[in-house]
Amino acid sequence: MALRQTDPLPTATARRRTGPTRARHRPGGSRWNRFDRAVSPYAYVSPFLVIFAVFGLFPLLYTAWVALHDWSLLKGDQGFVGLDNFRTLLSDGNFWNAAFNTASIGVLSAVPQLLLALWLAHLLNRPLKAQTFYRITLLLPNVTSVVAVVVIFSQLFGRDYGLINMVLTHLGAGRVDWQAGTASSHVAIALMIIWRWTGYNALIYLAAMQAVPRELYEAATIDGASRLKQLRSITVPMIKPTLLFTMIVSTIGSMQIMAEPMLFGAQVGPAAIATGGAGRKFQTLSLYLYELGFRNFDFGYASAAAWLMLLLVMVAVGVNFLLARRMKGGLS
Amino acid sequence: MRPTLGGRRARPRTRGGTPARALSATITAGALLLAGACGGSAAAGKENITLSVGLFGDFGFEPLYRRFEQAHPNVRIKERQATYDDHHTNLAAHIATGSGAADVEAIEVGYIGTYTAQPQRFVDLRKYGASTRQSEYLAWKWQQGVAANGAVIGLGTDVGGLALCYRRDLFAKAGLPADRAKVSALWPTWQAFLDTGRRFAAKAPSGAKFVDGPGEFFRAMVAQAPEGVYDRQDKVVAATNPAVKQAWDLSTRMVADGLSAKLTSFTPAWDTGFAKSSFATVACPAWMMAYIQEHSPGSSGRWDIAAIPGGGGSAGGTHLTVPTQSKHQKEAAELVQFLSAAPQQEAVFKAIGNFPSLPALYDKPEVRDHTNPFFNGAPVGKIYADSAKSLDPQHLGPAEGQVRAAIGNGLTRVDQGRQSPDQAWKQALDDVSKVK
Amino acid sequence: MTGLRARGSLPHRLTHLTLIGVAFFSAFPIYWSVIVASQDNGAMAEVPPPMVPGGNLLANIAKVFDTAPFALALLNSLIVAGSITLSVVFFSTLAGFAFAKLRFRGRTLLLGLTVGTMMIPTQLGIIPLYMLMIKLHWTGTLYAVIAPALVNAFGVFFMTQYLSRALPTELLEAARVDGCGNWRLFWHVVAPVARPAAAVLGMLTFMTAWNDYFWPLVVLTPDDPTVQVALSALASGYVQDFSLGLAGTAVATLPLVLVFALLGKRIIGGIMQGAVKG
Repeated sequence: MALRQTDPLPTATARRRTGPTRARHRPGGSRWNRFDRAVSPYAYVSPFLVIFAVFGLFPLLYTAWVALHDWSLLKGDQGFVGLDNFRTLLSDGNFWNAAFNTASIGVLSAVPQLLLALWLAHLLNRPLKAQTFYRITLLLPNVTSVVAVVVIFSQLFGRDYGLINMVLTHLGAGRVDWQAGTASSHVAIALMIIWRWTGYNALIYLAAMQAVPRELYEAATIDGASRLKQLRSITVPMIKPTLLFTMIVSTIGSMQIMAEPMLFGAQVGPAAIATGGAGRKFQTLSLYLYELGFRNFDFGYASAAAWLMLLLVMVAVGVNFLLARRMKGGLS
Repeated sequence: MRPTLGGRRARPRTRGGTPARALSATITAGALLLAGACGGSAAAGKENITLSVGLFGDFGFEPLYRRFEQAHPNVRIKERQATYDDHHTNLAAHIATGSGAADVEAIEVGYIGTYTAQPQRFVDLRKYGASTRQSEYLAWKWQQGVAANGAVIGLGTDVGGLALCYRRDLFAKAGLPADRAKVSALWPTWQAFLDTGRRFAAKAPSGAKFVDGPGEFFRAMVAQAPEGVYDRQDKVVAATNPAVKQAWDLSTRMVADGLSAKLTSFTPAWDTGFAKSSFATVACPAWMMAYIQEHSPGSSGRWDIAAIPGGGGSAGGTHLTVPTQSKHQKEAAELVQFLSAAPQQEAVFKAIGNFPSLPALYDKPEVRDHTNPFFNGAPVGKIYADSAKSLDPQHLGPAEGQVRAAIGNGLTRVDQGRQSPDQAWKQALDDVSKVK
Repeated sequence: MTGLRARGSLPHRLTHLTLIGVAFFSAFPIYWSVIVASQDNGAMAEVPPPMVPGGNLLANIAKVFDTAPFALALLNSLIVAGSITLSVVFFSTLAGFAFAKLRFRGRTLLLGLTVGTMMIPTQLGIIPLYMLMIKLHWTGTLYAVIAPALVNAFGVFFMTQYLSRALPTELLEAARVDGCGNWRLFWHVVAPVARPAAAVLGMLTFMTAWNDYFWPLVVLTPDDPTVQVALSALASGYVQDFSLGLAGTAVATLPLVLVFALLGKRIIGGIMQGAVKG
């Protein structure tokens, strides 16, 4: 499933800068031209909107309908129940536990991931030997299939013979049963996500940085500004729309984390695959949806959970957006 | 969910490998007979069709398909394999939406109750003459595939007759007898098993625990009770059935006594545990033999098989079904009949160890005298036949898998040292109560 | 490329050292896959695990092609990922252009809607989507995998953000003065400017499509799979044959790495070019 989602909200700055082109000279003003200007924008956005309406909106609305029913995946519709599913959800400890885990893993993974990506992009954003090599290796974690990720990380985080525990034991810190605790499991999963997505974000930043006029850096260098200072005072402000973009995409991506906790749970045992460990220590919202829908076959309740989750995602993105704007104000 | 239910796991891929070849050789005689019987129906000039068979892992069916195709020249068989979890998840989606299922779908016992509650989604195999097969089957195995309205939706392939696999070398080092008859005599009951465990622990080689973890033993104990987590009216009785609580207490006692290597079955760490000699005993349904063999390279002769404490039991096993969405129901039903017939069950047993569900085979010399050299020549035919015969039938409910998973996770929490047995039991029951 | 500063300077060396470190961590899993893929299955249980390749790589790869319809799977994945990439890049650039630089009623609303769509949890849409595919008679076909992925809001958002900055408004206006309609504007002015971002977006889209797993697994059959579905069948069973699984992974991943290695220069060339233009 697509792990990364999209969402484009033009920021205030972006909007200002980007603002729709208002042709000052309206040449000709032929009828065709006017028609073209009026209609073609809709024509250009419609392929996206139409295809999305069919394959994205329909499932969503259908899910909303299902959420109002007692609906078993296997037995089908067992009758209309109104908002009962939602009412149950509000007092469902497992749902809120999953919401907490999702937020925690999201913050633990997104913040270091984006900072690291920014720094790497900054390092790469200069004439360097072997540029191509570095850029391609940065993407390797993202190319690697999930099967490989499972094997590698189960070895790293193994309780008895894992590489990390071997090092910890060596340092006298003792072994960690990574899947058993809340903090340890969240850190481990965050590390997997950071490993997988940092290079991806770094490349996106890099593409944006390439568009920043070189002269700005040259002038700053002449003024004696350090590279770190240049990053803060030139690069970051100049690529703000991209930063905001990745922040929002990462927020949404974090809300949808499923594969990692699922695979991590498989290390605990098959019963723990859908529950995020034996004690639901790292069950995310997406994984809880999976448990409800595909393990318990409780399609109606799962649909309600999906909608409540959507609401939470919107809140998270909104908070993020406000934070980002504030940060931006401070920076510019 | 697979661990809890002890589903039958796939064995090592044998396609084209030696076991497969052995299989095809051993079955020739019996299969030819059956092929002859079916041959008449496969008249020439029929439309060519392809039957798909959906399995979780390799059931060793490949050579059997070729036999069936010979008898039915218009039929080609294609097998789909997925992991246990993917298979049953996808099956649910396909059954729910009425499309995408294979012509023949394997269903593990943990899920069979879910689908016998949906008889309209599956072909009633009585329509294709399955009724005559009833007398061949272990009564309870037959019953597991029958819906409340009497429809036969699944024919059993194997049963997971229970035994106990143990490490001869580790036992000897700990000063215990290594001979399988003497070992069996050590533990007529589960209490005696735990006592033996404490003796083992006192002199055990370093790094070796007595059991891998509490999960599979819990399952074995529950499987021996007349009633498990469900009663016959499909009501969840996990909280009130004393047999379940007793199994819980005994298995958590294993943890408290330090007998557990804290490894859950079917995890990579468990696999490593085999190689590192982390534990001396494993609950051992018949299909487990192939698994142990695969994960203990170079250990031939170190493992052996003894009787399970409490005598008999079954864990896991599979039924073959034909979803009504199949476009070739008749041929698919014939294939199910063929694959579950006696000669084929016998052939699969000899090739990869899945134990037949047809008691007539148990007294057949070819089965009864079958031994397994890897397990120090253990008479696996006799061991598993005795176990399967002494089993009381147990009713499995529609959400068997979910209930057992909830309890299984509770055992893991105890094993991880995160909760006391009482806390974990309370939470497990709470989770169970949420299962619909 | 010549460095702006002295090549041997300390910060410069540190930069390389850091990047080499990161490259090592990034590349290690691939190396690791090759190691495992070249061993027999038992070797994975050894502690410490082997660190150098064994001699079974070719045998395992041969077994992969023997066990699953892997050649077909590679072809299918190429078709799926290729058509999704072309479509996503084209429609995203088109919509991005409209959102970033054209003025029309409802623009903000539609853009907001686009963002909103991306917050929808995908897992639960699967059953209704599957039912839709049944209605369209597309289950088991590649259409079912391609169609829902033909567009995505990520791409639209990405291109909107990029074009809003990289596409100089003056350039558009100048072209308009010359009498360019929007469509010609798109081809002659927007598309060239969009190329670097399109290259990045294309690469990311291709990768995502190539590695997509859950939906293809539900909607395709193992007889006509994509690479990831074929891989799941390979690693199936309780006996996880990691050697076989990772040999399959290697076969599935190497084409991707090769494509990037070959096209990398060009993609980066595009980025540089964009930098000059922007």
